[in-house]
Amino acid sequence: MSSVNKIALLAFCTALFMAGSAAAKPGTAAKGKEIYDKRCTWCHGAEGDGGGAAKDRLNPPPRDFTSGNYKIRSSDFADPTPNDDDVFRMIRDGMPGTAMPGWSDLLAEQDMWDLVAYVKSFAKYEKPPAKQVEYGTQIASSAESIEKGKKLFEDGDRCVECHGKTGKGSASKRLKGDAGERTWPRNLTKPWTFRGSNDPKDIYTRISTGIAGTEMPSFADPKSKKKLTDEERWHVANYVASLAKTDKKVNAENTVIKADMVEGELPNTPEDERWEKTTPTTFYTVPQIIGGERYFTPSNDTITVRAMYNNKMVAMLLEWDDRTKSIPGDDNAEKLADAPIAEDGVAVQLPVVIPHEMKKPYFGMGDAANPVNIWHWKSGTKDAAETINLLSSKGFKEIEKRDAAGVGLKAKAIYSDGTWKVIMTRPLTTSAADKDIQFVEGKFIPVAFAAWDGSNNGEKGSKHTMTTWYWLLLKPATGSKPLITALAIAGLFLGGLLWWARSATKKPAA
Amino acid sequence: MTQKRRIPRLLQLALIVIGVYFSFVLVFDVALHQLIPKSLLTMYMLFVVAGVMMVFTFTEEGAQELVGPIKALVEDPSKKMVRNIVFVIVPLLAGYYTYTKMVPSFEAPMELRTIHPAPPGKFKAFGKSFNLTTLENPYRKFQKEDPAKFAELVKAGGNVYIQNCQYCHGDKLDGRGPYASGLNPTPLNFQDVGTIAQLQESFLFWRIATGGPGLPAEAAPWISSMPVWQNFLTEDEIWKVILFLYDYTGRSPRSWANE
Repeated sequence: MSSVNKIALLAFCTALFMAGSAAAKPGTAAKGKEIYDKRCTWCHGAEGDGGGAAKDRLNPPPRDFTSGNYKIRSSDFADPTPNDDDVFRMIRDGMPGTAMPGWSDLLAEQDMWDLVAYVKSFAKYEKPPAKQVEYGTQIASSAESIEKGKKLFEDGDRCVECHGKTGKGSASKRLKGDAGERTWPRNLTKPWTFRGSNDPKDIYTRISTGIAGTEMPSFADPKSKKKLTDEERWHVANYVASLAKTDKKVNAENTVIKADMVEGELPNTPEDERWEKTTPTTFYTVPQIIGGERYFTPSNDTITVRAMYNNKMVAMLLEWDDRTKSIPGDDNAEKLADAPIAEDGVAVQLPVVIPHEMKKPYFGMGDAANPVNIWHWKSGTKDAAETINLLSSKGFKEIEKRDAAGVGLKAKAIYSDGTWKVIMTRPLTTSAADKDIQFVEGKFIPVAFAAWDGSNNGEKGSKHTMTTWYWLLLKPATGSKPLITALAIAGLFLGGLLWWARSATKKPAA
Repeated sequence: MTQKRRIPRLLQLALIVIGVYFSFVLVFDVALHQLIPKSLLTMYMLFVVAGVMMVFTFTEEGAQELVGPIKALVEDPSKKMVRNIVFVIVPLLAGYYTYTKMVPSFEAPMELRTIHPAPPGKFKAFGKSFNLTTLENPYRKFQKEDPAKFAELVKAGGNVYIQNCQYCHGDKLDGRGPYASGLNPTPLNFQDVGTIAQLQESFLFWRIATGGPGLPAEAAPWISSMPVWQNFLTEDEIWKVILFLYDYTGRSPRSWANE
């Protein structure tokens, strides 16, 4: 036996052993039930049908284990049975972008294997799957592979049909799950929301098996017109992994929108090239559950903000991914929306008075002692253009609608391929300092945001997503003072050292 | 003198100071996972440096030996090369330090926060006044008297929790629900021994019923995102959810009876 063969045999035995060790921890369904009844019924229901107390307040809804659909699995596309490892991984690591947390910090490993056994029993899965996804030889990501993947992604509308040309999942058709529920294609530019990770191998697995219970098909199925070979699926996986837009990933450390000072006119469109040079800051948006009609099933999850100012005006560019351009009255928009459709919208909230100390207005539209300004943009309807509204508010119940044009507040928006970009501009100062925020350079100004997706459960009014307070800073030009001071200090040090050396070397002579 | 060759005193001093610094980092940051605040570490190191200097310069001889190399650097003609290098580097470092301190950093202002503000004696909720010192969970007694009924109440509290609270405080009550990362400050972790286990049930009732806006002035900055739950839940539901919080985490509330 050659040494190469020996290594191959060793590798094979190791693989067998590894595969065996996973299966060597068979869980006990009876023990799993005890844990399930304490930890899992709240969402997944005592019967495993996803009918727990939380079911109507989660988006996506909790999994119905009795359906037998496992979205994230690595068995062959034709065999719906999940591997124990697949289920184990979901329990251990949780599913990003959903309410399902990873349980490894609260449950022992054996507990989780017991849960696997019990959870599988809801769909009466007793045997392991007969066939697995075939991986062929993994093709490492490269510019060439990504280019090939892009071509396959677009070819014959293969993936573009649902995920859109830019992969953001901008809707061109209504999709639904097996239970008739509305589903949305994954936004491939936000890989941190992938339920089963964005490792190319995991993406390959999803492409190969499809997503059970949804309209995402298997591209390994030889009967499919859009079938891809092993090699082609690796190229597509590499391409999908390359779509990540890191600008739109939240960096928890960065809570300050830094507006750059510019000479001359500010941009007046979202497409101005100068926006590219500014620093984006991205925040999570969460559904509004503090007042009025509460909201639990949002679609927007982040908002990205850029800002600039000059000696007269301030401009903010708000950008967020939204799969639907919601224009009430528009045939295409109505077709894609879940009725009733409402306008898309976005709002900026600022305190009327920039606080000197830490106390800010209440983040939910201010309070009696601390009013806020709200700049509320709406996308318009078939018959009416987009609008920008100015509100002065002292809480939910005391809202005064004011004339936006009167204070020079303007907005302009562009929707393109799954992304809204809205620019808002206002003069730094207005004539009503008691009612409007007066922007000052170099101060940390509290700022918060809200967004509405009118095609998702008709978000409007208090049904929206929002942020808590963050900061806007009109970044003052640094000037030359630090450099001059630094040079002076360096000079002083040098002078001192030279004087010391000189007086020291003179000493013997004295 | 029959002195053995040993590490120069100046290097000894430097090694001791660096050693102490890394011990601090090793013990607190690495071993205990309790990040030691930078300002505190700076203060400690100031004392360490002062102490070590005192020991090293305690005798005239020791002091001489310590500053010897520095004097030599300046005075000894044979060390001209080293001297020139030091004379360039030191002013440059001083200039660089000044520059980095002068350039504004634009980091977000620090926001201190009182996690458990002192409760008021009385507070208003549900249109009436509650006395925090005498307020008790009306259902707590069933824990001993009627365990079956108690289990039902806990279950009902769990349903309230999963429909209202898990978004922020999490399925596992660890303060890491699906929307937790969108909030500032982040939601409390009830699994932590420093939270509900340190509190009476009446305190929880007060915090839940009146939420962020009900915090007293000394809890400023007023930025808690906790909703005012008396607007959405009944008194009954709040007491049940409190039972659930303790039951699920396996902790007990503090009470006058136990103290």
